[in-house]
Amino acid sequence: MHKFWAAVFGVIIVLCIALFVVAAFVPGWWLPKQVSTFGDAADRLFYMILWITTFFFVLTEALLVYNIWKFGDAKPGYKAPYVHGNHKLEVIWTIVPAGILVLISVLQIGTWEEIKYTKNFPRPDISVNQIVVVARQWEWRIRYPGPEEQKRWERDPKGPENWRKLAEFPFEDFGQYDDVHDVNAVHAWMMDERGAGRVLIHLKTRDVLHSFFLPHLRLKQDAVPGKVIPVWFAVNDWNTAYDEKSKTWVDGFNHNTGQFGDRNFIWDLACAEFCGSRHSMMKGRLYIHKDRADFNKWLDFQQKAQNARMPAAAE
Amino acid sequence: MSDSISHGAEAHAHHPELGFMRKYVFSEDHKMIGIQFLFSGIIFLFVGGLLAWLVRLQLGWPHAEVPILGKWLWSGSAGNRMPPDFYNMAFTMHASVMIFLVIIPLLTGAFGNFTIPLMIGAGDMAFPKLNMMSYWFMWPAFVVFLLSFVVSPGGAAASGWTSYPTIASVTMPAGQGFESPAQAASGIGQIMWLVGLIFVGVSSMMGSVNYITTIINMRAPGMTLFRMPMTIWAMFITAILQAFALPVLTVALFLQLLDKTINTSFFLPPGTLNFGNWTAGPGGGQPLLWQHLFWFYSHPAVYIMILPAMGMVSDIISTFSRKALFGYKPMVFAIAGIAGLGFIVWGHHMFQSGMDPRLGTGFMIATILIALPSAVKTFNWLGTTYQGNLQLTTAMLNALAFVSMFVIGGLSGIFMAATTVDVYIHDTYYIVGHIHYVLFMSSVFGIFAGVYYWFPKMFGRLMNEKWGKIHFFITFVSANLTFYPMHILGTGGHMRRIADPLQYEFLRPLQPMNQLISISAFVLGFAQFIFVANFLYSLFKGPKAGRNPWNSNTLEWTCPSPPPHGNFDIAPVVYRGPYEYGAPDREDDFWPQTLPPGVAKVPAEEAPHTAEQPKVEKEHG
Ligand code: HEM
Ligand SMILES: [Cu+2]
Ligand SMILES: [Cu+2]
Repeated sequence: MHKFWAAVFGVIIVLCIALFVVAAFVPGWWLPKQVSTFGDAADRLFYMILWITTFFFVLTEALLVYNIWKFGDAKPGYKAPYVHGNHKLEVIWTIVPAGILVLISVLQIGTWEEIKYTKNFPRPDISVNQIVVVARQWEWRIRYPGPEEQKRWERDPKGPENWRKLAEFPFEDFGQYDDVHDVNAVHAWMMDERGAGRVLIHLKTRDVLHSFFLPHLRLKQDAVPGKVIPVWFAVNDWNTAYDEKSKTWVDGFNHNTGQFGDRNFIWDLACAEFCGSRHSMMKGRLYIHKDRADFNKWLDFQQKAQNARMPAAAE
Repeated sequence: MSDSISHGAEAHAHHPELGFMRKYVFSEDHKMIGIQFLFSGIIFLFVGGLLAWLVRLQLGWPHAEVPILGKWLWSGSAGNRMPPDFYNMAFTMHASVMIFLVIIPLLTGAFGNFTIPLMIGAGDMAFPKLNMMSYWFMWPAFVVFLLSFVVSPGGAAASGWTSYPTIASVTMPAGQGFESPAQAASGIGQIMWLVGLIFVGVSSMMGSVNYITTIINMRAPGMTLFRMPMTIWAMFITAILQAFALPVLTVALFLQLLDKTINTSFFLPPGTLNFGNWTAGPGGGQPLLWQHLFWFYSHPAVYIMILPAMGMVSDIISTFSRKALFGYKPMVFAIAGIAGLGFIVWGHHMFQSGMDPRLGTGFMIATILIALPSAVKTFNWLGTTYQGNLQLTTAMLNALAFVSMFVIGGLSGIFMAATTVDVYIHDTYYIVGHIHYVLFMSSVFGIFAGVYYWFPKMFGRLMNEKWGKIHFFITFVSANLTFYPMHILGTGGHMRRIADPLQYEFLRPLQPMNQLISISAFVLGFAQFIFVANFLYSLFKGPKAGRNPWNSNTLEWTCPSPPPHGNFDIAPVVYRGPYEYGAPDREDDFWPQTLPPGVAKVPAEEAPHTAEQPKVEKEHG
């Protein structure tokens, strides 16, 4: 009977590992396609920890299964060795994991700093795509500096910084009259070789906690009532183009095949912090344009549409 | 110390016969109180399980019209589909019930109460009346939690077991009632949740004061600190954790209760919040303050939910390996280390919360280091079984499952502790997988191990081993099928607490996994009826256990089963540590802590599996 139980433990462990292996090859069962500048480093850390933990997982479980298999049939007369421990072993299996754990924590600090430390954020200047994201139940309200504002920045280097300051009023902030608004869609352009196109988001919420989650960018940040939290990212790929059929910009555009509707090029924006009844409906999409010119075209397009809807705002 | 012995002996000398009420209801006997906690814990295990089924029903088939249940529970609102508010209530109350009414009360209330006096050789707890109250203070919580399901408007709490402001804490302007402007559900329900938890907290506090005092003051002669079994060490350190952490939770609960009832604004930020037609604030507080206070308690609380199980499992594994616990002192220091570090890692729940990321780095290092004592413990358990003479009883199988599954929970913790990786997996099913590997696959298997192990001491009868093993097998397999795939969901980015994963393009391929999880969860739930049937049957019909059915060394096995009021018919004196199994120059392979040196063999009536309780109490040696 003891061999049966050893097998039960063993089979479960093998199945656990098998599931991970299978999942890594089934489309949609693993980390989604990764498109941000820091995402590769984050994924590398994930895999590093995965390998290290898998090693210790197999080691400990194998020992356990072996012990059940080998020593699991209690023999009436038999006495187990009379040992209470082993100082040397104890030291080894404290020091070795300690070393590995410290290594993991040291190795991952750099990327954490890159993603979250404000000292590494893009300074607001004309090359940076500033966006205000205001979460509320249950949608993402997005606001961009309008085309006129961006033109002013060409003359006034302080402009981007000032726009940010305005954005950093936590409440009752409706922005400037010529800002461009959108809902549940974040537009940006692929970062170019000179580094233009990094995105700086000013994240706020009007009611409860939400969390700005871009799985394909390995990025997540809670939005907290009363705070304006800066978030930055830059994207290495693009997924949107003007679609003649729908007369607007559509995502899911695979620029290798020239086709729309490719799952790998649909990059969801999700709310990851519980926010009430329709929490799971609080979703948006990330639209990354090929370049700044295409983004600007979209911005103009969006502003015209907005002015057409709200003629008063255009004056 | 000497006090306790005379008390024990005295109580034995003249048993006062207690009436039914004093004996079974308002009992001051630690064993009866432990058993009361055990029964209510098992009952609420089923309440929590039912809620889990509802959660899984929704996640497996988010758009399904639920036939009978639908009409009965929520007809009208959206046809027979489960409304998201109901789903939110279900996952909130599932976690709240399981954590606060099942796992904590079972580990500390049931096993803490039952084992502490017995294993240290005391007649009872230091403060028996306080002990009784600690159980009866659970009842307001039971009542309030259950009633909250039917209050209107809104029903039970639906803001997650973490109850983060502002969604949990906002309330209507003064005079407009207690509905929540932030969500249709959980106005009064949230208030009742807060009140319930305050009672649970008071109950735990009374318990931990009692445990600490009893363990410090009432050990039998010879029971030095380093002769205490791991169960007692774990209960001791857990009680200290609780005593230090609980006040912080209590304060937080009161503050949110004030926010919720009389419109204070401890958790409302300066500035106005907008909810449709309603506004809230401006306040003068901070939503993040709650998260700090909550996790300052609730991180230590996750260790409150595992350390006792670790202690129990250590004793069970050593007993059934017929071999000394490997590295007793390192095991004690590991528990102490986990508890100490446990106070400085709460921020790992807040890496993405908007807390200063530099603070996150500090919490990350402390959190990663806490995996170290966990690793040490695992290696020591493996060392204990190595070259042992393993008796694979049901208790032992459950204990081995604890070890095997805790490895998974501990290792997944490292992913989340690494802040960079946590950016992605925070608030996804990866966390849900982790939680269930530590709390279900470890703590609950530890609880099962404890029940199978101490049942004969509690009730004087043995549980059925065959059905115990069938129960173990189905539970072990179906629980793995339920919780392991959650790691895949999390790796795929599946957020937690979403009523409808089909909303998202990137989550659609994962839906078959969600269905597999749901089906396994239903099997898992049904398997628990085997446990209950075995438990109830054995209570009345199980074979009688002698004093020491497992040939174990610790003190509780020297009393009759079940022990009388006052516990010890022979005042125990302790001569050695609890893990002297397999000593070479002895006839037996065990060596009870109370057996005087020089006595070569344990008296026959204390030998294994004696069907009848010994009629004559014999002096030791
Ligand atoms: C090896 C040790 C462990 C490490 C390194 C660890 C690490 C973590 C981290 C970093 C989180 C936060 C994840 C996030 O929200 O992004 C977390 C969550 C959690 N851990 Fe652990 N953990 C460990 C062991 C345990 C144990 C032993 C328990 C309980 C018995 C436990 C219970 C929980 C629970 C309940 C949560 C989720 C709380 C929630 O958000 O609802 N963990 N753990
Ligand atoms: Cu949200
Ligand atoms: Cu924690």
